[in-house]
Amino acid sequence: MSVASLLAAADTVPAPDVEWSALSPFLVVVVGACLLLPIAGLLPRRTRVAWSALFTIAVALGAIGASAWVWHDLSRVGPTERTTVAGAYAVDKFSLFLIVVICVGVILATLLTEGYLRREDLPGAEAYLLYLASASGAIIMVTAADLIVLFIGLEVLSIAAYVLAGLHRRRLRSGEAALKYFVLGGFSSAFFLYGVALIYGATGTTNLVGIAEYLATHRLLDEGLLLAGIGLLIVGFAFKVGGVPFHVWTPDVYQGSPSPVVAFMASVVKAAAFAGMLRVVVVALSTHRLDWQPILYAIAVLSMIVGAVLAVVQSDVKRMLAYSSINHAGFMLAAVSTGADEGIAAVLFYLAAYTVLIGGTFGIVTLFGRRGDGHHDIDDYRGLARREPFLALALTIFLLAQAGTPLTAGFLAKFYVIQAVVDAGSWWLGLVAMLAATISAFLYLRIVLTMYAGVTDADVEVAEPTAEPVRRIHVPLGAKVAIAAALVLTIAIGVVPDPLTHASRTARPELVAPGD
Amino acid sequence: MSDLLRSYLTVFIFGAVAVGLVGAVLGLGSFLRPKRPRPEKLIAYESGVDPVGEGWTQAEIRYYIFALLFVVFDVEAVFLFPYATRAEAYGWYGVGAMALFIGILTLTILEAWRKKVLRWS
Amino acid sequence: MTLLAAANGISLPGTDDPINVSQTVGFALLAALMIWAAIRVVTTRNVVHAAVWLVVVLAGAAAQFILLAAEFVGVTQVMVYIGAVIVLILFGVMLTQAKLGNDPNLSRRNWYGGAVVAVVLFGLLAFATIDTFEDAKLPEDRRMALPAAEVGDGEVPRTESNTGAVSDAVFGAYLLPLEVLGVLLTAALVGAIAVARKD
Repeated sequence: MSVASLLAAADTVPAPDVEWSALSPFLVVVVGACLLLPIAGLLPRRTRVAWSALFTIAVALGAIGASAWVWHDLSRVGPTERTTVAGAYAVDKFSLFLIVVICVGVILATLLTEGYLRREDLPGAEAYLLYLASASGAIIMVTAADLIVLFIGLEVLSIAAYVLAGLHRRRLRSGEAALKYFVLGGFSSAFFLYGVALIYGATGTTNLVGIAEYLATHRLLDEGLLLAGIGLLIVGFAFKVGGVPFHVWTPDVYQGSPSPVVAFMASVVKAAAFAGMLRVVVVALSTHRLDWQPILYAIAVLSMIVGAVLAVVQSDVKRMLAYSSINHAGFMLAAVSTGADEGIAAVLFYLAAYTVLIGGTFGIVTLFGRRGDGHHDIDDYRGLARREPFLALALTIFLLAQAGTPLTAGFLAKFYVIQAVVDAGSWWLGLVAMLAATISAFLYLRIVLTMYAGVTDADVEVAEPTAEPVRRIHVPLGAKVAIAAALVLTIAIGVVPDPLTHASRTARPELVAPGD
Repeated sequence: MSDLLRSYLTVFIFGAVAVGLVGAVLGLGSFLRPKRPRPEKLIAYESGVDPVGEGWTQAEIRYYIFALLFVVFDVEAVFLFPYATRAEAYGWYGVGAMALFIGILTLTILEAWRKKVLRWS
Repeated sequence: MTLLAAANGISLPGTDDPINVSQTVGFALLAALMIWAAIRVVTTRNVVHAAVWLVVVLAGAAAQFILLAAEFVGVTQVMVYIGAVIVLILFGVMLTQAKLGNDPNLSRRNWYGGAVVAVVLFGLLAFATIDTFEDAKLPEDRRMALPAAEVGDGEVPRTESNTGAVSDAVFGAYLLPLEVLGVLLTAALVGAIAVARKD
């Protein structure tokens, strides 16, 4: 938008048309976040945490309901997408799908956090406020039709996430995680913003529709500015999803952050970042596919291999899961790099399945961490199957699902990715993906075998008398609900994948022109 | 738009006069006064008593939250300027939009008050 | 003003384009000041002095914005960066236990790496910018000391600033981001209180 056109428009009163119904999922979350603050102040101190958690879950459920309503509305009445607030915010099935994924992530994290805060004796209401604020940023990111809006969403999402990483104030590692995440996240935001500025310089607009139209109708003689912009944008996104070589923060942050927060980071932050990447890079910059495809291809290959190999050699379970999340990000990046519709559907399916899996996995890891959230060495997991048979079984299922075992959500997620990659003609990438899946299966089996093998009765007899008796793990109600729900969903998606598959295929990101 | 920049010429001249005046006075002073540098003259003046310790100390963390509160409302002020130039054209729409923005920011005061950040104990 | 107008009548040999002497000279002076101050930021051994040199860099940037007739951005630069960010930086320095005076032991062992990254980034951005814009000129309505007669026939020279246009964008297409910005600031402050409060 040039200054001249702005000045020409200056004599009309702006008051943009707001399509409230399409905006409703976002409004529910934002209003919920703003209300939680005064409400938490009014509640009696003792029950504050529990009520705040319930309120957060209600808000997330409300947003899911609103999304379902808008989805239904979109299918029924016609245009598959619409824009609200003058081209800044585009609601389509793609964004609605991801809003639901984000809200599921929020619900799982909230359920786990409730018990965690009480176990660790932390004051709590602000954790839920930050979840909701972060989720509203994520929703902005998945719906943004303008790079500036996308950036603001990214910042809301990230700033809340930085603080969440440091939520456990008495643990030094938690503070370290927050600081590392903050400093490196600040760098990546700067890269992203520079990319936005350069793309604005090259195309003269920050609106995604405008960029796509400009690039479709203009042949740029000098592409330096645009290409540098695309590169910097990809760096920003790759940092948020934890793709190699922008992954260095991941292990430390995952290890240090409170375990329920890791579930949140791994699901919501990733979903939002991938949504932004898909809409901006794959859709809006589709004319320059040949330029960004090799970059994403390289990041995907590196992430899959480095994530899988380094995960195997770790000795801390949370670090292992951090590297495994890099590996998962590599799979999704491989699907993104195809730039095809099947790839987008595969990413969406993967994100939905992964949110459930990671919620369940970190739910159990939270419990195994015990008070202090510190018992995450692989040796601490030895023989857990004997003492905690149900939890160990549940963790086994989640880990096997992450490895991609058939009849679980993880199998189809990986299958669709490889299918999309092979359909796009990248045989090598498919081969690398299968290799990485095999390597990472070692890792999950290692944790499972440690839980089941490990200690014999004799060892226990010898070791126990001196050590204080190991108490059974107390499972708070919230964690029970979260783990049970995650288990049911993991199996259900694995056995009856059709609804999710169908939804992920219908949910294509569109570019919504303002005024349509 | 050249008139805009011409009007900034006033600012520039004003700034130049200010710098020039201070420079002239100080320069004249250093030119006229006798110069006898001694280490004692560099000691911070503390009512005639020799100062103890360093002038810089580690500040309390709560100042930082005050500074952050300042940033929040500084940013609010930044958006008030463009609004002020067009406030009449917007009418009630503008009032509503700005009130919502300020209303959300007021939550920060509420949170600070709730957490007793504003109370100095 | 006649001198300025006369100076602006000079054009490059072989072209009719008048050189914008006053604006170019202003840019050059400010740019030199900013580069000098930026070098001082990274070479001074006193952390507080580095912050104050940073003020000079940011003030220079604000002046550059005003030179480009981007009044609002310039004022924002002064208010937010010089007013708020520097305050936060100084507070941040004072909160740490770092030595505030000269510190000869200030670790700068890795400065080669930083310099290489900076030079590469500068080269990339400079190349991209020059490659794209080459000798593009500033839009006419933002040139300094453009004689009023040259603005265009029958067109009234615009004297108002473009802050109103910025306002129209903020309260039009970017209304939602504005409100979300409120949420962002609130979340940041709630987070800061959660992290910094001691109890």
